Parts: sequence; structure tokens; C-alpha cells
Amino acid sequence: MDQRLAELVEELTTSGEQRLEPGRLKELKNICKSSDEHISHAYHLLMTRLNEDHAEMRFSAFQIMQELFVRSHQFRMLIISNFQEFLELTVGIDHEQPLPPPKEVAQKLRKAAIKSVQDWHEKYGEAYKKLSLGYHFLKQNKKVDFQDVHARTVAERRREEEKQKRLDNIYKEKAKRAEKEMEEMSQEIANALTEMENCFRLLMPDPFDFTANDTELEPNKQMSANEDRPASPLSSRMEVNQSCFGCMDDEQPCCSKDVLLVSQCVRTDRTKELEEKQEKPEQEELDGGSCSEAQSSVPALSDDDYQTFVRNHGLISHKYTLDLEISTEIKVHENEDNTAIINNVMDAHKLLRNKFWPSVQSWIQLFTRAGIDDDRLRCAIDLKNKLETAMKKYKEMNISFKAKKRKVMKALDDDDDEDEDEFVEVPEKEGYEPHIPDHLRKEYGLEPQSPPKAPVGKTSMGTAPLSSRTQLKGNEDELDPTCAAATLKLIRDKLPKLPPPHASDCATTEPAALEEPDSKRRKLEEERAKAPLMPFGLDLHYWGQDQPSAGKILKFTSEHRFWAPSEVEEEVENKEITEMLKTRYITFAGKFEPVKHKCRAPMPDGSLCERQDRIKCPFHGKIIPRDESGIPVNAEDRAREEKMRFEKQAAQPEWRDPEFMREVEAATGVDLGSSKNNGKGGKKKGKKKKYPNLTDLKQQANTSRSRLEKKVFNKGAMKRVVKAMNRVDQRKHEKFANQFNYALN
Amino acid sequence: MLGFISARQAGLDDPGRLRRAEATRRVLSLELNKDRDVERIHRSGVNTLDIEPVEGRYMLSGGSDGVIVLYDLENLSRKPSYTCKALCSVGRSHPDVHRFSVETVQWYPHDTGMFTSSSFDKTLKIWDTNTLQPADVFHFEGTVYSHHMSPVATKHCLIAVGTKSPKVQLCDLKSGSCSHILQGHRQEVLAVSWSPRHEYVLATASADNRVKLWDVRRASGCLRTLDQHNEEKSKATSEAAGTAHNGRVNGLCYTNDGLHLLTIGTDDRMRLWNSSTGENTLVNYGKVCNESRKGLKFTVSCGCSPEFAFVPYGSTIAVYTVFTGELITMLRGHYSTVDCCVFQPNFQELYSGSKDCNILAWIPALREPVPDDVSEKSLPQQHLNPAYEDAWSSSDDEG
Repeated sequence: MDQRLAELVEELTTSGEQRLEPGRLKELKNICKSSDEHISHAYHLLMTRLNEDHAEMRFSAFQIMQELFVRSHQFRMLIISNFQEFLELTVGIDHEQPLPPPKEVAQKLRKAAIKSVQDWHEKYGEAYKKLSLGYHFLKQNKKVDFQDVHARTVAERRREEEKQKRLDNIYKEKAKRAEKEMEEMSQEIANALTEMENCFRLLMPDPFDFTANDTELEPNKQMSANEDRPASPLSSRMEVNQSCFGCMDDEQPCCSKDVLLVSQCVRTDRTKELEEKQEKPEQEELDGGSCSEAQSSVPALSDDDYQTFVRNHGLISHKYTLDLEISTEIKVHENEDNTAIINNVMDAHKLLRNKFWPSVQSWIQLFTRAGIDDDRLRCAIDLKNKLETAMKKYKEMNISFKAKKRKVMKALDDDDDEDEDEFVEVPEKEGYEPHIPDHLRKEYGLEPQSPPKAPVGKTSMGTAPLSSRTQLKGNEDELDPTCAAATLKLIRDKLPKLPPPHASDCATTEPAALEEPDSKRRKLEEERAKAPLMPFGLDLHYWGQDQPSAGKILKFTSEHRFWAPSEVEEEVENKEITEMLKTRYITFAGKFEPVKHKCRAPMPDGSLCERQDRIKCPFHGKIIPRDESGIPVNAEDRAREEKMRFEKQAAQPEWRDPEFMREVEAATGVDLGSSKNNGKGGKKKGKKKKYPNLTDLKQQANTSRSRLEKKVFNKGAMKRVVKAMNRVDQRKHEKFANQFNYALN
Repeated sequence: MLGFISARQAGLDDPGRLRRAEATRRVLSLELNKDRDVERIHRSGVNTLDIEPVEGRYMLSGGSDGVIVLYDLENLSRKPSYTCKALCSVGRSHPDVHRFSVETVQWYPHDTGMFTSSSFDKTLKIWDTNTLQPADVFHFEGTVYSHHMSPVATKHCLIAVGTKSPKVQLCDLKSGSCSHILQGHRQEVLAVSWSPRHEYVLATASADNRVKLWDVRRASGCLRTLDQHNEEKSKATSEAAGTAHNGRVNGLCYTNDGLHLLTIGTDDRMRLWNSSTGENTLVNYGKVCNESRKGLKFTVSCGCSPEFAFVPYGSTIAVYTVFTGELITMLRGHYSTVDCCVFQPNFQELYSGSKDCNILAWIPALREPVPDDVSEKSLPQQHLNPAYEDAWSSSDDEG
């Protein structure tokens, strides 16, 4: 009966079900009913089950206990005698010993346990002192709220608190670091911000400041506009959208100024035609606009007045409408005056965007996470706001850079005749030698460069009328002393200069190469492309030279008076060294070709081996051609495989047929080693889960990490690594055994 | 039992013998009794208990929140079930309550009109029981772990105080000031105890692993330092020389006759010493689990023929025979660490206080009705409580 009891308990607790199976439970109860001994036996069995680290097992055991508890006084006595442990295992009152996984079942177990403790207390509380003590303990010390749905114990809460505390500490530490960082960086940020702000102010006085400095703003603006125009008339003309400053002429009537003044900071979009006939029609239109403006503002004017007004101003009608599209956008153009400023702004902006803003953002995040709600957070937020406003402002400025275009512009300028003069007159700087124009070459005491032979030089002189733009650009580059092109040119220029007698020859080297037939050059290039790139070595250094002293070791005779070797061969020739100077090792790895074939040997489960080894499959030996069903194509291979199979079978005595063995074992209950015999079958059997109904806890832990851990921390692997390392160590010791610090151990 | 009584009647036996035998039997049958309860006043762990030696009727308890409660243990209701009532308490609202955990409470040994309490708030307070007002307050520099007043002293009125400082302080109740300082320990003094035999002899236990015996009349040095190896040089390493334990010694208790001293340390050992020679008697009690960081209050029985020691052991109380070191039983009932226990000698009852805020009364079990007694009364009594009945369903297939 005891055995049956144990079986029942095991079956019931390993079912993994939420409800106990009623049939088995009944049987169990019947057994328990028969005597007190059985009850205590069942109690011990259940306690061991309750001690298992599996919530499902515990839950089932607890359910059985619940059933028995309400029935047997003896069982109650037993449970209550060890009520502390019971509570620990079911409610999890010890915070260092939480309930085991799976979590949901553990939660259920706790809830059920707390509920049943309450029920038990109500029913048996007075009779069993320890039960009521336990109940009060749960209620008062562990602060279990018996009404609480979640039934969280203090232990659980404490666990959470501890976790929280640890996190808090980490955050605090981080916040502290961030604070320090902030202190260090805030000065930098402030500097960058002021710099940017100043730049903005320089680029564009605050448009909404005109109440303050309206009077000076206007001429200022106008001036800048006027300056703008002659400086780069073409560029500004090319712009479709012209700034309003540009079209604000002096002849404009004062009444129309009002209209434009409002929008003077913002740009008016004008159509192209309007701009074409800039002089007169614009004037008219503007007048009209101002008229309509006046009209609307002074509605009391009579018809007569309109008539006279129209006539006085020579207008056809006063019903002109003027559409002003006022875009609120600001656009700042880069020109010579503000290049430096714009560069500064750009740098500052880049700094803000790439460095300061992310770090400020991270500080704020850290502070909020650490729950810091004081000056530090405020400071960080302030910083962030400032940064963001600055960045926004920068965006609104719409700065259009010329950056790369600058050169082109200049080149285009060159085309204009009047600019060319200007260009020629630019005084040369010392130490920097741009190309000297031909007509000036004499002054410099240089031979005139023949124009056809040096086509490179001619563009800047303006005598070359139809040079392509790209060429122009190149030349412009050459004029810039900081450009690589200029340096190249300098070298090119110098080359002919250096050897004066060969000047003409040398000068032709480059152009001559250019002039050579295309085919030859292409061939050369092709060859060059084909030629491998080799690292430079000694062999190349002495390429084709005969080195008489190579590989010879000179031994100096000792000049000691007394101590001297008996005979000294003064020169020793070392062949190896000689060879070394002339050899070059070239490793040729070849190209990787992915394996396309598969092993395709038939597997026991009927499929074919999928391994793609190059030559040999670790399981099926050398890879041989096989047909669809995995049978070798070649006859000899087939024969060999057949033979192998036969040999294998022969190695195993017939009576040890695994299936037969298994049957015998099952019948006799004696292990005859059939599982050992057939490696695979045995393994599978051993791996079979003990209790298939329970949730596998190990399964849950089967992550890539755990799998790797299993591999890496495998005992064998560890041993191997240790061995290898020891060997390396040993070798070192052997090598340096004569040095004391290695010799010691 | 009957044999003892008849022998007593015949005058064959020593009169104390019956008493001793009965007391021993009762101690051995100590159990958690559903009829005896102690009122639940403390909201936090109970650190210390003391029963007054005059009548054995009133018990003091000190909690780790500074609360002191006075219980009446006597059952005058003539009913088996009784809840020990709290007569009065120094609660959190009391103006003179200890601010931190009360570590030791002790009755004035000769009268119930006065008791003393010491606490982690660095004070020792002398209380008037009737008005529940402090009569005197001693302030110390460190937290007070323990204090003790001699139960037999007639010529002095000294309270020995063990504090965080290594010096043992002696407070004179007559003058209301600290009269002595005993120097010798190197670390905090966790337990102090006066000898119940010699009124000037004091034992102190410290965190430096040492137990020292002092004669307070001689301030120059201690009488004796107890050595666990009995001064056999070969067994002791140099730093372990003169130590009583290999861990902090945090409990001290004299046997009632004062001839022996029990010490307990965080090395999970209990040792019994001959208090007159300072010799380690080498009684092996096995492992006595002790993780307390402060003083641990344990007690010995009184008037039994082998004496028993009641020692807090985790969340249980272990009962040992003092002189053989045999573990008799473990009393299970608390749900958290037990901090103190105290023995009531008149009725052989044990009271224990624990971190789970409970004070449990361990009462001797009633004698089982002898089978040949035709006791119609007791049998139904047994089954009076329906909770004890089994509730198996009658039919087999119902289960």
C-alpha cells in the first residue's frame, strides 16, 4: 500500500495539471483514511514534493495537502508542526527563498496558499495555536493583505524594493557623473551659444527689433543691399528670387516705402518679367500699390479726388492690384563680407547639433530616470531649450552657402571684361608664384612660354577666348595658392625652369605624352592596370644590380694585445643572406569557390545527408557521386559501401539484436546493455523527459547564451584550454629557463 | 508520581526530590499551549523579557521600537484558557519612551516597584513601576547592549552596563552616577551578568571573543579571562589565546547556583565554564545556531534535577541539558528569529520573544489521563473541539 501511495503522489504531482485527477485523488484519500501511519507517510511524501523547485509540482502537492488537511486531524497536526516551512514553500515568506518558476503557477500557488491559510484559520484557528500564530504572522509581520488580489507578501515587495534600490543607486551614480560633465560642459555650451547668437546678430539684426532701432536699420539694410549688388551683380541676377533690398531703388516714392519697409526684412517674391522691366513699370506698379494702400486707409476720399489722383500720377486707372507674396522666410546669402561669420555659425551649429545637444538630451534622460527634480534638471532643460532655439534660429536663417560654388562664380566673373582687368592688376605676393602672363614674362626675365606648347597657362591671360568652363575652373583652382592644383602647377612650371637647356624638351614631356598617339597610351594604361601592386622590398631596391658584398659577413680581427682567437677568417660568405636579398615570396591563395555538391549519403531516417564538405564528410567518409536515392554511381564505391555494411553487422553478434535485447530487458527488468550497444537509441532513451507533463524549466533557459555557456564552460573544453595554455607557458619557461624570473617556476 | 508521593509520605525521600522530579517532568513536557496566550501589544520584534523574582507574576518585555510592556502572568480566572494581560506599557506616545530599540529590561531584584531598561538610544532608565515615570536616566556615549543588576547584592546597588565602548560601566543607584569603569575588553561589550553567588563578581562578554570575570572591588584588572583551551598553549594560536569563543560572545548566563557559567558566541558554540576556576568544562552542545549581532538572552531552568538551558536557535528554542550537552528538544512556534527567552521557575513556564512580534508562552502539558482512570469527563473533553475530529466522508467511493 505504501508503494501505491508513493506512486499516487508522484503521478498526481507530476501531472502538471491545474486540477487534480479525481480518480487518483480518491484512491489516495482512501489509502490515507485507512490509518494514521499512511497519513504521516503521505505527509512526508508530499513535503518532499513541496520541496521540489518546480512550482507546478508544488502546486499539485499543495492541492493534495489541502484535501487532506480538511479531513484528517493527524495530517493537520503534522502540517502545523512544521508550519513555518510549509509557509516558506507555499507562500514564499522568506525573501531569500522565492517560489520557483514557472512564474504564473507560482503566483497561483501563493494565492491559493494564502486563501487556504485564511480558511484554515477561520475553521481551526482556536484549536491549533500555531496555525493562528502563523496567520497572525502573515497578517502582521509579512503584511499579507488577505483581500489583496495579487497577494504580494512583504518578502516579494522587499525583493522588488531591493531591485529598485539597486537601480536607483546606479542611476544616482550616473546622474552624479552627468552633473559633473554638465558643469564642465555648460561653459563651453554657453560660449558656443553666445558665439552663435553674435553671429546671428551680425548676419541679420533682429527683424522684430525695429521698434528699437528702426531708423538706423533702414539705411543699414539698404546699404548692405546696395553693396551687395555691385559686388556680385551676376550672381544676384541669376537668382530668381531677389531680395527686396535689391529692388528698392532710390527713386521710389516715399509713400511706397512704407509698404516695402514692412517687408524689408522678409523677401518679396517677384516674377521675372517684373524684374526685367525694372525701371519704369515697377515704379508704376509700386505707385499703384501705394495708392491702393492709401485708398484703403483713407476711405473718406471722394471720387473726384480719385480722378485727380489718377491723373496727377499719370495712371490709367487706380484699380491696379498688386499681389505681394510675402514669404516669411529669411534667406541669408553667403558673400565675401559674411563668409567668416557664416563659417563660424556653421561650425558652432555643427558643434551644437553633434556634441552638445545629444549630451544634454542624455543628461535630462538620466536625471529624470534618477528622479532628480531640482536645479540640475532645470539647468539641463534650460540648456536644452537654449540649444534648440539656437538651432531653430539657424534653420530659419536658411543660410545658403556657396561653399563649392564659390570657385565657379569667380570663374564666371572672369568672363566679364571689366573684371578681367581687375584680376590682372592684383598684385603678386612674394614667395608665391602664380602663373606669369606671357606679356609680363619679359619683365620677370623669363623666356616667353610658347602658347601652343603650354596650353595650360594661357587661360588666365584672357587671350584664350573660347576655353571651356571646366578648364577655366581648373585654372582658377591653380590660382588659389592653397589648392592642390596650384601646387601641381607650380611643380609643372618649375620643372621646365630648373634645367634651362632642356627646357623645351622637358616642357614637352607632359604635353608630348599627351600628344602621343592614343593607342599607345591606352596600351600603357592597360598594362599598368594589369601589373600587380607589390610591396616594396629589398629585392626591388637592388633590382638588376649585382651586389658583390651581399651576404658577406666581415669579421674584424681582435685588436686585443693578448687575447685573440687563434685564427680568424675575415670574410664569411653567407649564402642565405644573399638569397634573402634576392628572393621574394609571393603567396598565392587562389580564389574561394563555394562547395556546390552535397554528401547525399543515405541517412537512417531515409533522407540524404545535407552536408556540404569539400572532400570528406565527417560522417560518411569521402564524398562520391551518388544518384537521387543516395546510391553511389560508381560500381566500386557501391561495392565498398556494401562491404562496410556487412562488416558492421558482422561485428555485432546476431543474438544481440537491439530490438530483441530490448524485449528481453523489458521482460526480465535486467539491464543487459542494449542501450549501450546502440549509441543513438540509448541516448534518446536517456534524454526522455522524466515527467513529460510538467513544464520544462530547462527549456525556458535554453537561450543562445546558455547553449554557448554549455559549450564554452564544458569541462572537456576547459581542460583542453588549460592544457594548451599550460603548454605555452611551459614552452616559455623552457626558452627562458636561464632567466631567473622564468626559472623560478 | 504516586511512588514519589508515597515515598515522600513515608519520609523515605528527601523533600526536594519530589519537587525536582515533578519540575523536571514539567520542563520536559513544555509545549505551545492553546490555552495560554500573551496579549499582542508589540508591533515590532521583542528583544528582551524579564520576570520579577519576588512573586514570579509580572513580566516585562522590551520591543525593538522602544516600547516596554508589563504583563500579568497569573491566571486568576479559574479557567484553563487565559490570555496574559498587559497591565501597562510605555508606548510610543509616552513622553519618556526609549527612542530606539530596548535591549534589556530588568526588574529591581528585591521589589517590583522599580525596573530598569537600557536601549540603543544610549540611555539606561530607572523606572518607577507604579507611576511609570523614569526615576533616573543614565546617559552613555555608545549604544547600550546589555545591563544587569546583581540579584544577590546586599552591600552595593550597582548596575553593570555593557555598551559599544569596550569599557564596562558600573552605575551606582545610590548616588545616581557612574562609579566604576572596568577596562580590559577591546571591543564592544555585548553581555554582562552578575554572579548569583558572589555579590561582587561580574562576568562580561565582548565582541573581542573574550569573557572576563571581574571583582568589582578591584578596579585594577579582571579576575580571570576565560580561555577555551584552558590555557594549553599548544592548542591556541597566539591571537586566539585567552579567547572564550572563536566569534563574538553575545550571551552569558549563570546557572542558578552560580557555580557555572554558560556562554554563547557567533561561532555557533555554547560553552559551559566553571565560574570559580574559569575552566572550560568542555561540554559539547553541538552547533548552536547564533546569528545575532547584538546580545542574545537565554536562560536556564531552576529546580530541576538535570538543569536545562533554553537557547534561541534561529526561529526555534533549543532545550539542552546543561551538564551533558544533550539536545532534548526544539520548541517550534516562532516564525522569525527568537531573541530572548525567560524561565518562570514557580510554574516551570517558558516565555520567549521573537522578531515576529510574538511573545509565546510555553506551558507544561497536562498529564495524560491514566488509562485505568475511569475519567468520563476527560474523554468528551478531548473531543469537545470539533476541529480535532477527522472529516473523512463515510462512504468509501466518496473518498
